[in-house]
Amino acid sequence: MQYVSLLYLLAFLPLVLLAYGLSPQRHRWKLLLAASYIFYGLLSKTLIIYLLFSTISIHELGLWLNACQDGEKERKRRILWYGVFVHIGLLAVLKYSAFFLESLNAVLPLALPVPSFVLPAGISFFTLQAVSYLSDVYHGRIRGDESLGRLALYLAFFPAIVEGPICRYAETAEELYAGRPLTYKNITFGAQRMVWGLFKKLVVADRLNIFVQKIFTHWGQYSGLVVLLGAAAYTLQLYADFSGCIDLTIGTAELFGVRLPENFRQPFFSRTASEFWRRWHITLGTWFKDYIFYPLSLTRPVKALGRKARKTLGRRLGQTVQVLPPLLAVWVCNGLWHGAGWNYLFFGLYYFVLIVFGNLLEPAADRASHLLGLSREGGIWRVFQTVKMAAIVVTGELFFRAEGLAAGFAMFGSIFSGWNRAVLTDGTLLRLGLDACDFGVIAAGTLVMLAVDLLHERGVCLREKLAQTNLPLRWTICLAAVLAVVIFGAYGAGYAPVDPLYAGF
Amino acid sequence: MMEKLLKILEDINPDNDYETEEHLIDDGLLDSFAILELVSSLEDAFGVEITPTELVPQNFNSAKAMWAMLGRLQK
Repeated sequence: MQYVSLLYLLAFLPLVLLAYGLSPQRHRWKLLLAASYIFYGLLSKTLIIYLLFSTISIHELGLWLNACQDGEKERKRRILWYGVFVHIGLLAVLKYSAFFLESLNAVLPLALPVPSFVLPAGISFFTLQAVSYLSDVYHGRIRGDESLGRLALYLAFFPAIVEGPICRYAETAEELYAGRPLTYKNITFGAQRMVWGLFKKLVVADRLNIFVQKIFTHWGQYSGLVVLLGAAAYTLQLYADFSGCIDLTIGTAELFGVRLPENFRQPFFSRTASEFWRRWHITLGTWFKDYIFYPLSLTRPVKALGRKARKTLGRRLGQTVQVLPPLLAVWVCNGLWHGAGWNYLFFGLYYFVLIVFGNLLEPAADRASHLLGLSREGGIWRVFQTVKMAAIVVTGELFFRAEGLAAGFAMFGSIFSGWNRAVLTDGTLLRLGLDACDFGVIAAGTLVMLAVDLLHERGVCLREKLAQTNLPLRWTICLAAVLAVVIFGAYGAGYAPVDPLYAGF
Repeated sequence: MMEKLLKILEDINPDNDYETEEHLIDDGLLDSFAILELVSSLEDAFGVEITPTELVPQNFNSAKAMWAMLGRLQK
């Protein structure tokens, strides 16, 4: 069962909502837990065993940590590392063993057997949630949960288990457990958010799919502007698909009165690569920051390195030297988290280099703006930064989507050869699976997305504004949005929906 | 001693008003690079050890919150 399916949207979800509304408050969390396991069971079948194992073991380890006395630091550390080793180890074996052994066979004269594991849906998400829970118990930020059911619901909540967002126990578990009543506001706000997510996914992301697939699958046949447009289209598709699915998830949770963390904050308004990652897949970025970057940065060797570097190299360069080891670890993990492939590793290292140089070149950018007489808050500088970030993001996504690192480099190189602006007008683009009508719908959908992001960037809360309008106008707008999804959505014969892009991660 | 903390903050990023600002982390006024520099400077200046457990927004959102954290760590 997929989120974007009639079975989920018109049968499963309404039934769960109805049963939830009819249940007494104290039993509602149990209903959400049962629904989550039914959903995950239908999706993953026997692979549900991994989720069960993760839940039971993390629960037990949390209780072990609770039982440790204040002075038993070493015992607590051993429990933490045991849990991290088992859970990350399991993920590593399932996700990376084939990649590791294939790479080893390619480099050395070996013929090691390469295993083929089926990856349980959402394992990368619930594993990170499990590890964050354990780490938070270890650091004393939360107590290990006595209730196995509450912890199970935190790890398995059905709207979020496949594509995130990656939730923290302290923020989410009690929200899920509270069993809040269904309210008119929650249902209308949640439904609006869901329709907005479906609009982005069905109207923009799924409609672009044929075009993107054609260029990236048969990349050897294309060059110049076509490849550049393919990479830009994929960037747009990924944003519309992933943020659309997150809107669907957050909207679904909102129906039940549960607030989940936001995962996107208008990423294309970013000025730097590091700002981009504070606005794109926010919960993954904060996970890496809190559980890898800070702990590694505050180890004694790294702090000593920083002090020494600041003394000898000055403040800015010394500070950069201190963050190099933890930052490298974060971006290697980020790349590999997205997939077991050299192109994903390259993707991570690409952002590592950009962020390091971005930090080092900050004073130079300041001087450049002074020399040119441009304010760094002014329009011209802003346009320059937007164009720069668009180029950076589209290039990164080209490597991310390419069928291997070699294909990525070949495609990137081909952008600079065979450059022919005539492809925009000679019908070439219309031979890539989409007709003029499709391009018109995508352009209109993208403009709507841009307008909404622009308003959000200016602090306008559209849903609150909509709630303040009179009833006929409000319902007309909502109905128009539903009709837009039904009429302009890409589904049925002739369209292949995008696989939930982040489900495989 | 609070002046010492304000001086460290000014050195790291002089653009913020540390006497009134209450959302240095939540509003992105101090990024993770700046936080690490701040941690090193605070450890050197106040003779404390700041562990990852302390690196939560509540402890770094304002100069007052940092001062409270330092007081706790010095005990």
